[in-house]
Amino acid sequence: MTYETPDDLQYTDSHEWIDDREDVLRVGITDFAQDELGDVVFVELPDVGEALDRDAACAVVESIKAVSDIYSPVSGTVTATNDAVVDRPELLNTDPYGEGWLFEIDGAVPDDALDADEYREQIE
Amino acid sequence: MNYRQATWERETDSGEPVNEPLLSEKRTGTVSHDDVDLPDELVREELTLPEPAEPEVASHYTRLSQMNYSVEHGPYPLGSCTMKYNPKFTEDVAGLDDGAIHPDRPDEYAQGTLAVLHGLQEYLAEIGGMETVTLQPPAGAAGEFTGLLVARAYHRSNDEDEKRREVIVPASAHGTNFASAAMAGYDVVELPSNDDGRVPLEALEEAVGDSTAALMLTNPNTLGLFERNIADIADVVHDAGGLLYYDGANLNALLGRARPGDMGFDIMHYNVHKTFASPHGGGGPGAGPIGVVEELTEFLPDPHVREAEDGSFEFYEPEESIGKVHGFHGNWLVLLKTYAYISRLGDGGLKDTSAMAVLNANYLASQVDLDIPYGPFHHEFVASAGDVDAAEFAKGMLDEGVHPPTTKWPEIVDEALMTEPTEALSKEQLDVLAAAFTETDRKTSEELSEAPTTTAAARIDQASAARNPQLSWRDVEGHDE
Amino acid sequence: MQRIQHDETDQSDELNESSPFAPQTPQEVDTMLSAIGADSVEELFDVPEAVTFDGDFDIEAKSEFEVRRDIENLLGQNADGTEFLGRGHYDHYVPSVVDYLSLRSEFLTSYTQYQPETTQGFLQALFEFQSMIVELTGLPVANCSMYDVATALGEAALLSARVRETSGSRILVPETIRSERHSVLENYADGAELTTETYPLDEGNTDLDALSDLIDEDVVMVYAESPTTRGAIEERLPEVASLADDHDAAFCLGSDPVALALLKEPATVGADIVIGDASVLGLSASHGMGLGLFAVKQAYLRQVPGRLVGASETANGRRAYTLTLQTREQHIRKERATSNICTNQAWVALRTAIHIATLGASGLADLAEDCVTTASEAAARLDDVNGVSAPVDDRHHFREFVARTERPAADVVSELADRGFLVHEAGDFEIQVCVTETNNDEVDDLVAAVREVLE
Repeated sequence: MTYETPDDLQYTDSHEWIDDREDVLRVGITDFAQDELGDVVFVELPDVGEALDRDAACAVVESIKAVSDIYSPVSGTVTATNDAVVDRPELLNTDPYGEGWLFEIDGAVPDDALDADEYREQIE
Repeated sequence: MNYRQATWERETDSGEPVNEPLLSEKRTGTVSHDDVDLPDELVREELTLPEPAEPEVASHYTRLSQMNYSVEHGPYPLGSCTMKYNPKFTEDVAGLDDGAIHPDRPDEYAQGTLAVLHGLQEYLAEIGGMETVTLQPPAGAAGEFTGLLVARAYHRSNDEDEKRREVIVPASAHGTNFASAAMAGYDVVELPSNDDGRVPLEALEEAVGDSTAALMLTNPNTLGLFERNIADIADVVHDAGGLLYYDGANLNALLGRARPGDMGFDIMHYNVHKTFASPHGGGGPGAGPIGVVEELTEFLPDPHVREAEDGSFEFYEPEESIGKVHGFHGNWLVLLKTYAYISRLGDGGLKDTSAMAVLNANYLASQVDLDIPYGPFHHEFVASAGDVDAAEFAKGMLDEGVHPPTTKWPEIVDEALMTEPTEALSKEQLDVLAAAFTETDRKTSEELSEAPTTTAAARIDQASAARNPQLSWRDVEGHDE
Repeated sequence: MQRIQHDETDQSDELNESSPFAPQTPQEVDTMLSAIGADSVEELFDVPEAVTFDGDFDIEAKSEFEVRRDIENLLGQNADGTEFLGRGHYDHYVPSVVDYLSLRSEFLTSYTQYQPETTQGFLQALFEFQSMIVELTGLPVANCSMYDVATALGEAALLSARVRETSGSRILVPETIRSERHSVLENYADGAELTTETYPLDEGNTDLDALSDLIDEDVVMVYAESPTTRGAIEERLPEVASLADDHDAAFCLGSDPVALALLKEPATVGADIVIGDASVLGLSASHGMGLGLFAVKQAYLRQVPGRLVGASETANGRRAYTLTLQTREQHIRKERATSNICTNQAWVALRTAIHIATLGASGLADLAEDCVTTASEAAARLDDVNGVSAPVDDRHHFREFVARTERPAADVVSELADRGFLVHEAGDFEIQVCVTETNNDEVDDLVAAVREVLE
């Protein structure tokens, strides 16, 4: 089984991806993470304006048989959330790096973030 | 074996295919209360409910029953659930008019009921090696919660509640252990298993300390393995000032051969709907009595039953009682069935029960050609479905006319199939079950993904049930309300 | 059947008696042992000698006939007496059809529906039970049972604390609550560091001024009952609900399905949570065994304790039912679950549903109306007795009521018991009497006995 791991993203040990191509960081869960969870049925997101500490559990993703906390990869303030995944949790399964993004936060990518090669190594 | 569950393929008035229409899709009635002597503002405007005639009620529920697999259909080897035969006579005992009394009767008007409760307290205390037993907790999880309230009361009485804030639970424990500890206000410390599937003594020594309130343990554990170091485990926990809690889910393996009290446990619960054959009833009611050592008896729930000097029985409040865990006296009818079952078996029957339960599990395992990584096991074993998803494997087994084992748990075994045949399966039924494993193992992943095909319902879409919850007939599409 | 000793060298004679519910013959035991590669069953036990039990329980095995005879004799020691007892546990007549259908072994001997494809029958029955509770409460979400009303109250308190945006620690309950129910609530509240306090009632209704003085932003839940433990129909529920709402506290109403068939829908009086004992239908007097009803408004859905059955469909497009939203539960969320409950009262819920179906809307409505009529008639007749005034609370009553007696209630209760009538002692000079269709014919005799005792 091979998982999609786009080269232009950064990753965390806890299977979040970070997109730093815009001014803010966009965060979601990886293809590997969505596959491990199975059909996602429920997503709970942080509030816009909420200040998060790094590694704080800030969102919840549920499948039929598992619950997964999503940890904030950085300290910062939530600037946007993807309400589409609340209504259609299946977007996390069908398009984890696109329409299935979770939230945006201001802050800088942490030094210990993994690049795509490092992350691929971790999930193999 | 060729198996087909009964099914009725019908359509509702709106054309939706169903097995059996909802009661609300048949005849309903709407009533209002025009004549009642109450002010209008207190009375509801109307009430709509199904209005079937009795023959329709009988037919509806008979059909539903036939779309429901049960112990009496065949093997039901759910690990940790102890799905054994439920003797019929216990239902007749539970139906006796003399037992149908109100819980607030004065003691002298309830001597028969009190005698049964006291008798069961004594039976269970003897079987568990405990000083005494309360029958009030209405289920196993309620027993766990009660036991932890007792532990907390004990630590409070020693002025240690403030510091003893942790309950240690092995990773392979039942989910209820974690949840019960949290409900009793404790922090949960999870203890990983060692390589042979048991509690690692060294890690335990490191985990215990001044903050330990209790260790909760299942023995045999969820892999069916006896914790051979139990005496050392008890010493480690007791030396640290903690209490040792026994989860009784697997007591069927040990009836008459080993007693939690003798192993050093201070508190235990009994799942009478598992070990003592009161029927599971589609999810309950059960009962979760707890036994305690002498030092803890004063903390038991109120009221407890004792024998008075004149030989009569009475309820009393233990001196330092934690109070109540059920509004009245627990699930009386379940307790009554339990008393009848134990009376029927006696010493010999109880010991034979554990013997045949362990023999059955070992024989079945010998006939199943799947990897069983941990042993020696007792009343249950955990096989691995290998490369196959255990949940898919289970769907395949349904088509073999048996109920599948518990799946995907404990997580220490990959794609776990946790299998507990109980003493009640005959050799012939064990062979049927073994053949079901073998047949399923031969199925391709495509065949498995299409299973089951012989049950009243084909594979059910769990994801959309959770994404778009429809929790009453008002939510069902096409329903005319 | 006597299972024969198969290991001659085994000194114990433990296997000389066998369980009538274990079908293996001695020959099969031998065959099975050789398949395993073991010489004896004893050998299969990996139990260290130090903790092996080699004693006896001294429980003598009995035949089925003997067990039934002995238990019949024991239970026969429950003294004869006509119960006029209620206060949270009621004896309504349960139609025979409930027994015959619920005792079908397909229902009785099945487990929780973790394999929904093969347990559609029970799932549909529970879905219908949930739906009936939705109709009765007007709330959109009902689970498929808690243990009883007291544990349901405890769970309601925990839920109320969880759903609050800001933390709070107080729970307010009526002073008339059964002390046992209050004690269960305190045990559930303790672990979550919640405390409970009582608020007073005034003649069966909530004392709104007192409640208003007590309530503040630290209150997470206000609980009220209708009918109250003393049988009065509470008239100030909307005001209680709005007081709770003003302080962001949940309003939890305790009732039961018979009363709900008559009284204003909880949803329309502002209840956020409804709890109650649903086994008033489905079970006759059973020493307090119950069925916890638990219904909530939509916003609380993900915080509901216990099992929920939902409708879905099969791969071939047929409607089907399944346990759903299970990530709330202990087997998945462990210490972060909404509750530790696993085994519940499913079979009692089945019985309650069959009972409600058998009564139908009109039968249930008639039963509820009778509960008002019989209580009011019985109260009027006791009020005619010199030395008795009834009802004490100047309210409408449901099933039961409190009567004031000129003599100490303890003496009255005891002398009535001597005459074969069991009533509650509700206060120093108060007795409580509960009337349903099962004892209504004996109200004449009760009134005569009360007259003897008091006049």
